[in-house]
Amino acid sequence: MHAKKLGFLLSMALVASAILATRIQEVDVPIWQRFADTNRVNPLTLHLQGEFVESNLGIAREPDGSFTLRMIAEQYMFVPHCVLVPAGIPVHLRITSADVVHSLTFSGTDYGVKVAPGVVSQATLQFSQQAEYPAPCREFCGAGHFAMRSRLRVIPKEQFPVLSPDERGNCASR
Amino acid sequence: MLRDSLRRRLRGGHLSQFTVFVLLGVTVPVMLAATFVQLRTETPAIHVPSNVAWTEKTLDIASNGDAFRGSLLVKRCDHCHGVEGFSDRPTTPNLASLDRLAVWKELQDFHYGKRISPVMPPIAAILSARDSADLAAYYSMLPTFPDPQDNRSFPQAAPDPAQTNRSALLVALGDAQRGIPPCQSCHGPVATVKAAPSLATQNSDYVANQLDRFASGARANDINMAMRIVASQLTPDERYLLAQYYGAGFGRFPAGATIPQGMKDMK
Repeated sequence: MHAKKLGFLLSMALVASAILATRIQEVDVPIWQRFADTNRVNPLTLHLQGEFVESNLGIAREPDGSFTLRMIAEQYMFVPHCVLVPAGIPVHLRITSADVVHSLTFSGTDYGVKVAPGVVSQATLQFSQQAEYPAPCREFCGAGHFAMRSRLRVIPKEQFPVLSPDERGNCASR
Repeated sequence: MLRDSLRRRLRGGHLSQFTVFVLLGVTVPVMLAATFVQLRTETPAIHVPSNVAWTEKTLDIASNGDAFRGSLLVKRCDHCHGVEGFSDRPTTPNLASLDRLAVWKELQDFHYGKRISPVMPPIAAILSARDSADLAAYYSMLPTFPDPQDNRSFPQAAPDPAQTNRSALLVALGDAQRGIPPCQSCHGPVATVKAAPSLATQNSDYVANQLDRFASGARANDINMAMRIVASQLTPDERYLLAQYYGAGFGRFPAGATIPQGMKDMK
């Protein structure tokens, strides 16, 4: 009796390990990263893998309808160079640095996010009305620091583009 | 009890058939199904600009090239890039005294098809990471002083002073309103960031071509989009002026020298 139970358990374990070995659902994220701290990233390999790859930057509509804005700060610019945000809806900001400490601020608002390499800084932004804010860096980051400035464009939520799950929105020319 | 049953199973007999059934009859179909599900839900391929990431291991490979071995490998580069690292055509880049990380990264990008060129990919395809490091070490050691016997195309004719002032302003201060960092804060001689090539002795046509390709996205091997963003912020006119500025050899000195005149125009 015990032998049969053990065989069943063993086979179930094999099946489970087979499923775990191949990657399910999140195909671009290895399974072991599900157990890792997602707020710690390697600043040197942001462009190779993970949530801060080029095609994932900008504003995304999550499956539950909320908005997530992903950005990178690097010497001497924020990527994307111009970000788009709907008015009146809270937007979850996730930003990390590729090199040194930066600070993302939006002139004329109270928001300020310190950005350090290796960790993901988070904030929830909400803007009430249509506007365009300059977004300068407020932490000295090197010789070109004074010119490190991107833009944040707030547009009415009716005009906000309908983003498919694979689509990322921004207003940068590139 | 438990150990006995395991031992019996491993020893064989009728239970080993059960084990084979589990392995082949259940595990294999499940793995196939999982693979099928994975293929079905595959997201569109992400764009990886460059396979190079400046980890310690990569820095170690790229910066410890053997310049003597590079001097032997360089025979196949001489024809276009010049014996002294200065090309006789302004569309071909000068490689003399370039930062070795920059040369190594570009060779790797050509190798992996991340940077497109009509000439370089087949040449870089046969270069190993070590060959690239050796070549980069060799080129980083070549001097840049002028040689009257050489038929180099550098420096090209200087543009007229009014235009030089305009481009010097961009090189020294960039344009903070548009978010354009100064060129010399990364490409020298004032400051550098990792693997940004020096533009001190670069050909104008080459710089203009690369800026245009960055702006249009035809060249997309810059890590985290740095050059694509800057080049697309610049107007075509400014890109041309900057290329002229560097092609004339002004990039050898900090642009601060010509700033006082330009500062008057700034508001």
